[in-house]
Amino acid sequence: MEPWVVATALIFLYLIVTLVIGVVANRRLSSDAEDFMLYGRKAGPVVLYLTVVATYHSAFAFLGSGGFFYTHGVGFWVAGCWTILVGAITYTLGVRIWFVGKRFGYVTPADLLGDFYQSEAVRVVAALVSVVFTLLYVQVQAQGLGYILSVASGDRIPFALGTAVLLVVAAFYLMAGGLRAVYWTDVLQGVWMYVAVWVGALVLTIRLFGSPLELWRRVAAERPDLLTLPGPEGFFGPGMWFGMTMVLSFGVVLQPHMLIRYFSADSARTLKLLGATTPIYLASLYVPAAFVGLAGALVRPGLEVPDQIFPVLLFEFAPAWLTGLILAGATAAAMSTLDSILHSNMTVLTRDVYQRYINPDADAARVVGVGRLIVVALLLVAFVLSVTSSEFLVVVVTMSAAGAMQLLPGICAVCFPSRRPLSRSGVLAGVGVGLATLYVTTVASPHPLGLHGGIWSLAANWAAAWIVTLITAAPEADTIERIHGALEDFVYRDESP
Amino acid sequence: MSSPRSHWRPRTARGWFALVAFVGGLVLAQPPVVFAFANRISPWILGMPFLYAYLSVVYLWLIGVLLVVWRWRL
Repeated sequence: MEPWVVATALIFLYLIVTLVIGVVANRRLSSDAEDFMLYGRKAGPVVLYLTVVATYHSAFAFLGSGGFFYTHGVGFWVAGCWTILVGAITYTLGVRIWFVGKRFGYVTPADLLGDFYQSEAVRVVAALVSVVFTLLYVQVQAQGLGYILSVASGDRIPFALGTAVLLVVAAFYLMAGGLRAVYWTDVLQGVWMYVAVWVGALVLTIRLFGSPLELWRRVAAERPDLLTLPGPEGFFGPGMWFGMTMVLSFGVVLQPHMLIRYFSADSARTLKLLGATTPIYLASLYVPAAFVGLAGALVRPGLEVPDQIFPVLLFEFAPAWLTGLILAGATAAAMSTLDSILHSNMTVLTRDVYQRYINPDADAARVVGVGRLIVVALLLVAFVLSVTSSEFLVVVVTMSAAGAMQLLPGICAVCFPSRRPLSRSGVLAGVGVGLATLYVTTVASPHPLGLHGGIWSLAANWAAAWIVTLITAAPEADTIERIHGALEDFVYRDESP
Repeated sequence: MSSPRSHWRPRTARGWFALVAFVGGLVLAQPPVVFAFANRISPWILGMPFLYAYLSVVYLWLIGVLLVVWRWRL
């Protein structure tokens, strides 16, 4: 049987399994809107672990990271640093977000910010930032999906059709089972993608070089420029290194699809366990990615699209069944992020727009129904975005993460009590200045002085927020006491809700 | 509760240890240390080039700190 038949069949088999999971999840769905949006805040350690790692790692981790090692060398091992930082952020900030969410009934980041700052403007800005910048991320995942199916089928399934098929499947199981379906499919996807990357990379490395150690030796002999910084194209300078560490940790964590995972945890202990252990999965996924990228640089140099290196090597050097399994794993990586983004955007629009401003008295069934309609609308937007643009994966990811990162000062002021929390005007000014700076430092004049635009924008955001806070009124004392007092009791007196 | 104490500073010795150990490790994986000290191929460590092995060791340290913090229930 030809490799493309095996690969395509396995991907479709995988899609059928996700659809079945969606149907089963639908049967467990209660009429409670919180069950649809937040898994009823009952996600335990195993499910939450796998959904967090599967959601964090996307098509970019599967394809883009191999491409980065291929082009820029071991400098991309900086990825280990930002994934470990994600664990630390979960342990410190994530647990606090979970707590205030559970205590005060927050479902979205806008709920959290709007309540603390007692401001509709802050709520709207938070919702806008959440949706706009994650929609960019949807584009990346949708493009990755279409690309994977196109490659797996040997271009027999056109990119646009592949994107459409995979988007429809993700939207179906999301509409059927809500966050429960997303989490259950993520469990499958999290295991599948991890095993697939490791097995694929090791098989390729052993077939081509005998062992990983021999691969390192050959790279040192033939392409030593891949083993030092800033890499062959000078990409990994100090500013980019530091900037990517910050943006791809704080920025991704602050995107709503990650924040909502914090809200959905069953306990603080679960989240702390995740904070301590998810870096093991997240960082170690880049080890086989390095094997793939560096092996590709030696045996297939000069690829026009470096992200193609993993599938190119698989089709050439791996057995058909393994290629199929691994490309299905790549599909899992992209879908696990895509479905989570669709879900989070649906939740933000349903909760922060429909429930807040259009129909505050809607019952749970109506809220869930509107949520499903919003998924359909998002599906169409994602499809249009994915077929009308084709920018290099990581650039888009980095921009979207840096945009979401503009919520960091405001969220930190909520979750970390201090003598002078930011004011609502300070937060709004900070986000405005931060976004303007982000545009200038990533689009108009990218990465001034070699420092990542996300860092410039965050620094400007924080500075503006503080300056405006000094001359404007702090949040209401009652609100500060209610939320910060509860946090004080939770963190230092171990009083869980 | 009128004026909450800052949550930005640890309040226990173990908290301080965790902060210093983690941030210290993070500094070792960032500029200028990485670029000034670790940016080379030799000496090889366990068959891996120095930069890659150095970063791997720092990452193991950082993960270890997180596990210790979890074990201490901080």
